[in-house]
Amino acid sequence: MATGSNEPKSRYLQYLEVVTGSLEEKKRYRHYKARIKQLPENYRIAVEAVERYLMHFGPADGAGAMAMYEDLADLFEQGAADRTPIRDIVGDDPIEFVEAFMANYPLGQYRARERNRFANAIARAAGETTPPQDRTE
Amino acid sequence: MGKLATEMLKGTLEGIVLAILSSRPAYGYEITAQLRDQGFSDIAEGTVYALLVRIEQRGLVDVEKVPSEKGPPRKVYSLNDQGREYLEEFWRTWSFLAERLEQLREGGN
Repeated sequence: MATGSNEPKSRYLQYLEVVTGSLEEKKRYRHYKARIKQLPENYRIAVEAVERYLMHFGPADGAGAMAMYEDLADLFEQGAADRTPIRDIVGDDPIEFVEAFMANYPLGQYRARERNRFANAIARAAGETTPPQDRTE
Repeated sequence: MGKLATEMLKGTLEGIVLAILSSRPAYGYEITAQLRDQGFSDIAEGTVYALLVRIEQRGLVDVEKVPSEKGPPRKVYSLNDQGREYLEEFWRTWSFLAERLEQLREGGN
């Protein structure tokens, strides 16, 4: 729905976003950070630990990653409101929880690229001529 | 709950949660509490939450946000037609698996 008067601004924004990344996503990320700051300290520490793990192994950026952080904030805000003990939220094996959580969102670019490379190499080794499907999703 | 039970539960938790939702809509905490009552005492609320996010993404449940007295609005999950279909398939697969395992235990094949 591009009207003439909007066009210069949207072009400017397009250009800007090439330089800075999506402004909408930055806004969502700042909003997420502000929500986390409001949490009681032990919940905030737990969220920041999850966040650090996700930064390493989760989706790199984009709308998928923003949805992930918002879902994460939802979980811990609810937990804090209910006074749910941290262990009851993340379980005895926090890795199991964080991996189950992360699996819902797009792969990190590094993992996605390596998975593609691996699947392609196996297809070549198996003598298949049709290229396998792109598994970046 | 031992390690083996935890491992075996992983593959079936989705079906279990859908089965719980087939009787009535519920929010995350209620589902976790019900699982704990039924003996799945080690289940983490976050793991159940991750599973709920997944079945929501796959369109197996409908979600309604209901205001709560304290904290953010709660997401109430209810099974939709696609979820019901999936649950039926889960039970069929479960019956197949249970039958085969029983045969193995009895030493037949």
